[in-house]
Amino acid sequence: MPDFALTEEQRSLQDLARKFARTEMAPRAAECDRLGRFPEEVMRKAWELGLMNLNIPAEYGGSGLGLVDQCLIVEELAHACAGMTTSVIANCLALEPILLGGSEEQRRSVLSSFCSSYHLASFCLTEPGGGSDAGALQTRARRDGDHYVLDGEKCFITNGPHASLYTVFATTDPALRHKGICAFYVPRDTEGVTPGKEEEKMGHRASSTSTVRFERARVPVAQRLGAEGDGFSIAMRTLDQTRTPIGALATGIAQAALDHAAAYSLKRQTFGKPIAEHQAIQIKLANMAQDVHAARLLTWNAAWEIDQGRKGTLESSIAKCYASDAAMRVADEAIQVFGGYGYMKDYPVEKLLRDAKLAQIYEGSNEIQRIVIARELLRPYA
Amino acid sequence: MEIVVAIKPVPEGETRLRPNAAQSGFDPDGVKFVLAGYDESAVEQALLLKESIPGSRVRAVSFGPGPRTEEVLRAAIALGCDAATWVEHPVDLLPDAVLSARAVAAALAASPPELLICGRQSGDEESGVFPGAVGAVLGVPSLGYAVNLRWDPTTARLTLQRSIEGGLESVETALPCLVGLQQAWNDPRTAKLPNILKSRKAVIEKIPWEQSKAALGRHASPTSVRRQFRLPAPRTGARMIPYDSPADAAQKLVRALREEAKVFP
Repeated sequence: MPDFALTEEQRSLQDLARKFARTEMAPRAAECDRLGRFPEEVMRKAWELGLMNLNIPAEYGGSGLGLVDQCLIVEELAHACAGMTTSVIANCLALEPILLGGSEEQRRSVLSSFCSSYHLASFCLTEPGGGSDAGALQTRARRDGDHYVLDGEKCFITNGPHASLYTVFATTDPALRHKGICAFYVPRDTEGVTPGKEEEKMGHRASSTSTVRFERARVPVAQRLGAEGDGFSIAMRTLDQTRTPIGALATGIAQAALDHAAAYSLKRQTFGKPIAEHQAIQIKLANMAQDVHAARLLTWNAAWEIDQGRKGTLESSIAKCYASDAAMRVADEAIQVFGGYGYMKDYPVEKLLRDAKLAQIYEGSNEIQRIVIARELLRPYA
Repeated sequence: MEIVVAIKPVPEGETRLRPNAAQSGFDPDGVKFVLAGYDESAVEQALLLKESIPGSRVRAVSFGPGPRTEEVLRAAIALGCDAATWVEHPVDLLPDAVLSARAVAAALAASPPELLICGRQSGDEESGVFPGAVGAVLGVPSLGYAVNLRWDPTTARLTLQRSIEGGLESVETALPCLVGLQQAWNDPRTAKLPNILKSRKAVIEKIPWEQSKAALGRHASPTSVRRQFRLPAPRTGARMIPYDSPADAAQKLVRALREEAKVFP
């Protein structure tokens, strides 16, 4: 039988994240959402407490947490604000390629600096012309002596305007498709690197998103991760690691929606009694609770698989896909429980629906996840 | 200098406590124990002093049953305490403040601290007896309701402020002494994630109950015994008095207060 009990250490990490979420994130969530404001002060404080570079091993000054531990933290943070959480965990996504594909020297020089002082990094894979079809990316990397010259544009880049380092995927020859892709790390102050204007988004409005342009940006060969052509594999293995925490983020949104709906249902009266005493509402709450519970357990299961040293491709795709779909359903029902008030911005639940939507799209759309799930599940039957 | 800070694990403020089967105390099952506000302030003060006095260190000490006591001591280490002593007792002992004071004093007797800091009262029972009682057992002066401790190395004296009616009283004292801290005047810090991980591996000195019992002799049992732990009776509902006019409402209310509730003669 699997053991679902958390260790005291895991409880302490969860407590830390919960306290941070309640005292630092939640009080600013509505305002940052309304104004589309990036909460620099929250980000810095998250870094100070060690909540930012969760996946960086202790030898480089990070916390070196396993994926189960990371998921516990991410769920708590997302309960308060999914947008801020996306920005807090963006470093994990951006630095994972360096962990996976970097040489010891590259890891030491880059990762240590992120642990010794506050910096943000951004993962630059998606392009205006395609997200899911990463093999078709168009950003060019032309070799010129001991440099590569990068040209192209990346879009939907989390923390783009605030990052001091970009991990960039570019191709030496688009005709080679996957086999032509290389991974680089590119400091923002490299000439020819320009983050674009911040996007106006439906949800995750506390998170900052922009394009990043590369125009004749000269990047030393020493900043290439792995060999020429390793880029696609580095990107996919990175997403294998970071997909599961998106399940945790979606679980946090769903739990928040359930918490708000349950508390409100006990206060709001219709027909002479709290609406929680009407079966119509009870059934909604019961379905929401099932979704939240299943999302959490699928996420823990995927994280545990990967912590055991297995790839966990099937499990992490199921977790990300299920949890984000569940977050949409639960947030939707929470609004319904709130009725007209749920549609008003003065109440917290409409934000949850807008935030949940992104979890179905980013880090591999749920359509891509289903393709992966189908491929993996059919394998034993073939 | 070694600064000792005495702390107590108490149920988290939001916990809904239930009486245990014997109704002698609360049922600890599912209860989350934390450092209470006064103790958080005490730990913060100890750490601020440590940071201002080169070569000093902070030891946290707590008298209580496992696993909750070990957990709050680890929390104190994660916040920055250098060492911790767990004075253990069985979970069913239910000590009072005087026994707690004696047990902590006995544990510290081998090397009595120059400065002992604690919250001015615990976060659960709030009797406020412990600080004075430890001071009395150790034979050192105790100062309660304190804030803003500062150590002056040239005069080797401690200055602090005490909350008194309508203001603050400034006090200067020599060591050794014991100080009971006011709550949350100093914005207690949050433990950082790497320190939480490190605190899990820290070695905690443990004094078994048998050892404390031997040291305390005939004082090894609570002086006051809690006989019952019950939830308050549920309040009965309010009664609405229907009325036609404000004058009518006043008349009916006064009649009900006089004739039914018998508030007036």
